[in-house]
Amino acid sequence: MGNITLGRYIPLDSPVHKMDPRAKIMAMLLVLISIFFPAGWTGYAIIFVAVAGVIILSKLSFKFIWKAMKPMLFMLVFLLFINIFFTKTGDLWLEIGNFTIYSDAILNTLYIAVRLLLMIMITTALTATTKPLDMTLGIEDLLTPFKKIHVPAHEIAMLISIALRFIPDLIEETERIIKAQESRGVDLREGKFSEKIMAILSLIVPLFVSAFQRAEDLANAMEARGYAPGEKRTRYKVLKMHMRDYILLLGAAAILTGMILLAYFL
Amino acid sequence: MSISFEHVSHIYSKGTPYEYKALTDINLEIEEGKMTAVIGQTGSGKSTLVQHLNALLLPEEGTIHILDRVITAGEKPKKLKSLRGDVGLVFQFPEYQLFEETVLKDVAFGPKNFGVPEEEAQKKAKQALRLVGLPEDVYEKSPLELSGGQKRRVAIAGILAMNPKVLVLDEPTAGLDPKGAVSMMSLFWDLNKKHGKTILIVTHDMEHVFHYCDNVVVMADGRVSLHTNVKEFFKDTSLCKGLNILPPALLRMKDLLKENGFDVPEDVMDETALAKCIARQVKKNG
Amino acid sequence: MKIIEVENLNFSYSEEVKTIQDVSFSIEKGTYTTIIGHNGSGKSTIARLLAGLLEKESGTIKIDGMELNMENLPKIRNRIGIVFQNPDNQFIGSTVRDDIAFGLENHCVPQEQMDDIINENAARVRMTKYLDKEPTHLSGGQKQRVAIAGVLAMKPNILIFDEATSMLDPQGKDEIKKVIMDLHKEIGLTILSITHDIDEVAHSDYVLALDSGRLAMQGTPHEVFADERKIRAIQLDTPFSMKMGDFLHQHGVEVEKHLTMEGLVKELCQYRSNM
Repeated sequence: MGNITLGRYIPLDSPVHKMDPRAKIMAMLLVLISIFFPAGWTGYAIIFVAVAGVIILSKLSFKFIWKAMKPMLFMLVFLLFINIFFTKTGDLWLEIGNFTIYSDAILNTLYIAVRLLLMIMITTALTATTKPLDMTLGIEDLLTPFKKIHVPAHEIAMLISIALRFIPDLIEETERIIKAQESRGVDLREGKFSEKIMAILSLIVPLFVSAFQRAEDLANAMEARGYAPGEKRTRYKVLKMHMRDYILLLGAAAILTGMILLAYFL
Repeated sequence: MSISFEHVSHIYSKGTPYEYKALTDINLEIEEGKMTAVIGQTGSGKSTLVQHLNALLLPEEGTIHILDRVITAGEKPKKLKSLRGDVGLVFQFPEYQLFEETVLKDVAFGPKNFGVPEEEAQKKAKQALRLVGLPEDVYEKSPLELSGGQKRRVAIAGILAMNPKVLVLDEPTAGLDPKGAVSMMSLFWDLNKKHGKTILIVTHDMEHVFHYCDNVVVMADGRVSLHTNVKEFFKDTSLCKGLNILPPALLRMKDLLKENGFDVPEDVMDETALAKCIARQVKKNG
Repeated sequence: MKIIEVENLNFSYSEEVKTIQDVSFSIEKGTYTTIIGHNGSGKSTIARLLAGLLEKESGTIKIDGMELNMENLPKIRNRIGIVFQNPDNQFIGSTVRDDIAFGLENHCVPQEQMDDIINENAARVRMTKYLDKEPTHLSGGQKQRVAIAGVLAMKPNILIFDEATSMLDPQGKDEIKKVIMDLHKEIGLTILSITHDIDEVAHSDYVLALDSGRLAMQGTPHEVFADERKIRAIQLDTPFSMKMGDFLHQHGVEVEKHLTMEGLVKELCQYRSNM
């Protein structure tokens, strides 16, 4: 678990951490959309500088971003190979016998790599600076207008926050069951295929049984404390937009407009 | 010597910000054929200690001797699987590990993992189920249909079916009602006295330690703070009070009598002796 | 005044087994009642029926003079708080503060008033220092204290504890028992505690003993434990002082039945000075 950086919250004290989650989610969406306009290298450079600025402001290290990017490298290398073999347009850059590399193969791969890097930078800047609970509050608020078309905004948010609340408990439970079955001679790493199936069953069945038990207890506890899905309720945590949040949104909107202009009008 | 720890320490999540030293310089010899209680406050390292006995956890430093095997820090342990057969570890709330369709199949799961053929495994499972006192009419039932106490017995039978020489139990009576807890403890007493199994029990219940165990290991802050026999440990209530533990009722009664001017000798260690001692004094005065 | 009245209550989860059979009892306002019985005797089912989490098959339940039915359920829920056995599975919020707020949100308490209510109830269970902690960083006893605060925040007048201490270590058990005693004494709440703790039973005002879904015995602890044979027949334990009393009888010391050691020793002292 310790090695996963993608999507993880890093508790630091920075202006970005203090921003309103709604502003951050909206800004992220705007900038993500702007990546998909064909604004060329100039456009990507602008987005990169803006996002890097936010990351510096949030006190996250670029090593952290690099760690999140690393799992994608394999995919990029794979993509490069495919492109080299199938993309035969642009200038001829290399020719050894039958083997040829054209400029578009390299440039296309680079394009995708840059887009991927930007996407990871943008999402990490959001997830690493926003507590999971604040994220759900933000999502709930942003979904509220859709209640009119019967999107259960509050229920979705409640579902996410409860899932987040019980993830550590379920991980602990899984570790405990693995240990208990290992004590009965289960070997999850080695063994024949049929043994492996049994080993996995011996883990999954108890996990389900205990998860159902937990769900029942939780439902009882929630109902006893007056929770009824769909009923009106007040909210303890109230989000408030500040100047910095408006600046962030304005910046994101400017980038989107810029990209559209670069792509179609300039 | 069958089980011993030499300078053993254990660290969780080493090299991460969550690094936590759970055991520090443990030196301990567990007497073979005896019933030993491991006590101490939550977080004192009891569970971490017992999980070293079947190599679920490996020491960061030090050496552990278990039966004829040696586990040394930094070395990959050999014969790991056979060790898990010889040292049966029953986790807290073990009923949560049941998964098979029938009780019999679930209990036979352990032996089968050790390569015992189906028929032989069933025989061992039946033996184990008899040992824990479950009637034959539950053998073909789903474990999920049983009561809490019965489920726990099935789980314990699942370990016993591997015929371990050492049985380690982490809070085996947690959540049972008083009657259920007593009958569980007498099961372990039988396994120890009649079937010669070395037993280690992690527990918070001093009545159980007092009535059923031979030795006590006290853990505090990841160290062994005391290791002695039960008689010595409960000689008076001073040790318990020093450790912030509620002494067994008989000892509390003795203290209360002494406070009220009764003369209660140290060697009074059961209800009959105490009743005799009181009778002498209330009648002598008359 | 009777705050809980139960008459001819019946309930079953499946057709074969009756979980609750023809149970009738009533509880006086402001009393501390313990419900005892071996595991599987129907104790928790009674608690869930009283809190309206299960629907009865037949019979009546009246809380504060109101009959428990679909119409009255929301009103009755406000008067009954229940604390369950498992400390992890009833912690709903992501921090102590959020968990106490959960019930307030459901009851549409205005947001401006919440902080005061949260602080007041956290203080009552001595959890003020931990308000911003997450459940993974709390002990079992602390989590149960939060559960109590969360229930108290909704201002109930009846509190049900469904084996709330049975999964805790001795330290946690003591913490929770002390909190319950204080609530009973200081705010005068009616307490209904399902427990195996013989000491807690001895100190309660009234005892209900269940066996296989039936109410086998009821009365003051003295009345209930007076019938030792029946207590054993329904697989329950007697206090140490009573067991000790039996040993003393065997050795010719005729003591009365005592629920506490203190009571027994006191009588022995009198015995000694009278003789």
